[in-house]
Amino acid sequence: MTDRHDPAPYIDLKGIRKGYRIGTETVSIFADLDLAIAGGAFVAIMGPSGSGKSTLLNMLAGIESPDAGQLMIGGNRLDRMGEASRTAWRAHNMGMVFQFYNLLPMLTAAENVELPLLLKPLSGKERRLRTEKVLDLVGLAGREKQYPTRMSGGQQQRVGIARAIVADPGLLLCDEPTGDLDRKSADDILAMLGFLNRELCKTIVMVTHDPQAARHANRVLHLDKGEFAEERSAA
Amino acid sequence: MASAIRQTLVMTRANLLSLPRRQAISLSMSLSIALVVMVLAGFLSMAKGFEQALRGAGSPTVTVILGGGTYQEVGSDLPPNVVRSILARRSDLGVRRDAASELIASRELVVPVDVRQPGESLGQTMALRGMDLAGLSLRDGVTLSAGRPFAKGSRELLVGDRLARDFPAFGVGDKIRLGAVDWTVSGHFSAGGSAFESELWADLDAVRAGFDRQGEVQTLRVRLDSPAAIATLRDALSDITETPLVITSEADLYAGQSGRTADLIRLFGWPLALLMAVGAGAGALNTMMSSVADRTAEIAIVRTLGFGRLAAFASTWIEAVLLSLAGAAIGVAASWALFNGWQASTVGANNTRMMFQLAVTGDVMMTAALLGLAIGAIGGALPAIVAIRRR
Repeated sequence: MTDRHDPAPYIDLKGIRKGYRIGTETVSIFADLDLAIAGGAFVAIMGPSGSGKSTLLNMLAGIESPDAGQLMIGGNRLDRMGEASRTAWRAHNMGMVFQFYNLLPMLTAAENVELPLLLKPLSGKERRLRTEKVLDLVGLAGREKQYPTRMSGGQQQRVGIARAIVADPGLLLCDEPTGDLDRKSADDILAMLGFLNRELCKTIVMVTHDPQAARHANRVLHLDKGEFAEERSAA
Repeated sequence: MASAIRQTLVMTRANLLSLPRRQAISLSMSLSIALVVMVLAGFLSMAKGFEQALRGAGSPTVTVILGGGTYQEVGSDLPPNVVRSILARRSDLGVRRDAASELIASRELVVPVDVRQPGESLGQTMALRGMDLAGLSLRDGVTLSAGRPFAKGSRELLVGDRLARDFPAFGVGDKIRLGAVDWTVSGHFSAGGSAFESELWADLDAVRAGFDRQGEVQTLRVRLDSPAAIATLRDALSDITETPLVITSEADLYAGQSGRTADLIRLFGWPLALLMAVGAGAGALNTMMSSVADRTAEIAIVRTLGFGRLAAFASTWIEAVLLSLAGAAIGVAASWALFNGWQASTVGANNTRMMFQLAVTGDVMMTAALLGLAIGAIGGALPAIVAIRRR
């Protein structure tokens, strides 16, 4: 599966094989998966449960490694990296947005957003300024000291997005980012992801079950039984 | 490295802020460690108090001469001719003399006596020490706290403060029956809480007469010109062959006695504390496993963000150490409040009751606290390793 618009893809998967061992049996998720995504694309990946969406996202995040094949993102061969290298790569190149926000409830909004910056050689003042800036960008200025438990789902997801972009990664991976939100909040979040894609040139890969959410992407891939069964460009 | 420290700090802070979710099990871990610390501190303070009581009694310039080759006063016997021979010597013995050039010496005899308080069916065995009047001046740090000293030749008792506090029957002027005769308490003395305060002092001849021990002397106490002069004394008395003499400083005599008993107390205390520590360690392991399970999502989140294994390990381990530190602090504080100064008694070197105070000193607190910390450090290590594998 290739991106027709970019001869040098930002994400390039070739011959990916991945399976899980359950007892004595190995369940194959991907037998020979190819995928190319151009830099600056907003790609939605849809598919039924068990189709391999989460496994694909975990591999793109460097959380899991393929059993075989080439996994290249931004010129880095993730399949050749050890866990420590992948962790370091993740810290500097990728932000992740989760369905259930995955904020630390005991930390304030600003402290949650600041977490990825702790991995960078920045002073406390620099971290605070960048945190305030992205909270302002996602419309949460003045809520720095609020705890996630006192926020609506939409606001928590905005904090989640702020945390994902605060370290200025090139890649945003979104796992059902609107799955836990009402329509209005979901549309706001999707509009924000669109903004980040258009204005800040973030490459976004979004796993979703929601066709309306997929419409915000400029490319939609359907994954079924470990293979891309269908591809269509969004309107 | 700075990043790793920042990661660890923020994860540790998040762990500690999430403690209310695990309040009960975290509290139980700290309290079980506090209990272990208290048990060990209890035994160690007992050993320390016993040592302090005996070592406080010994002076490096007072020498005790024992006969029969023993270091135990009750087992010692100095034949009368040996005593006369020593006291009659005019050569330089390295020992202080009075204005008349007589040795400043005290012949002494310890007799175990059963003392029964009014209304009590069982008596307690105490040490009645018969001594010459010079014996009082040979006790460093001893002061009269009530009444007057015993008079020569009379059946009068000078009672240690510790005994006087515990036994109302030893009031100044009271009469008490020891053996077959009545004795009158002439006064009380203080010896800074040392083992001397567990003794009854009386005139040597009165004790001999009261207990049919005429002519008997167990030990001879003398004051040296200096601690080093003990070598001169040993050399000067080396010609005495009637009985094998043991010439030792009072400090060494009591240190030897205290060492054996204190070691015995520790021998009981350490295995018990270590056994309890194993149990508390299992509790700590369980608590921290629960903590890791409770924080699985949080660990996975920060690991996904790019936090390293070290931060996941260190923050979990630090949580365990901090919980054990809290337990150790509670244990040490409780030990100090409950045990320090607690009046205890045991059977001393003369098979008589010896009273002492439990002493929760700095080194006792430090040792007990370190055991508590070790429980957390060891019990928290495995869960910390598990934490780095959480995804």
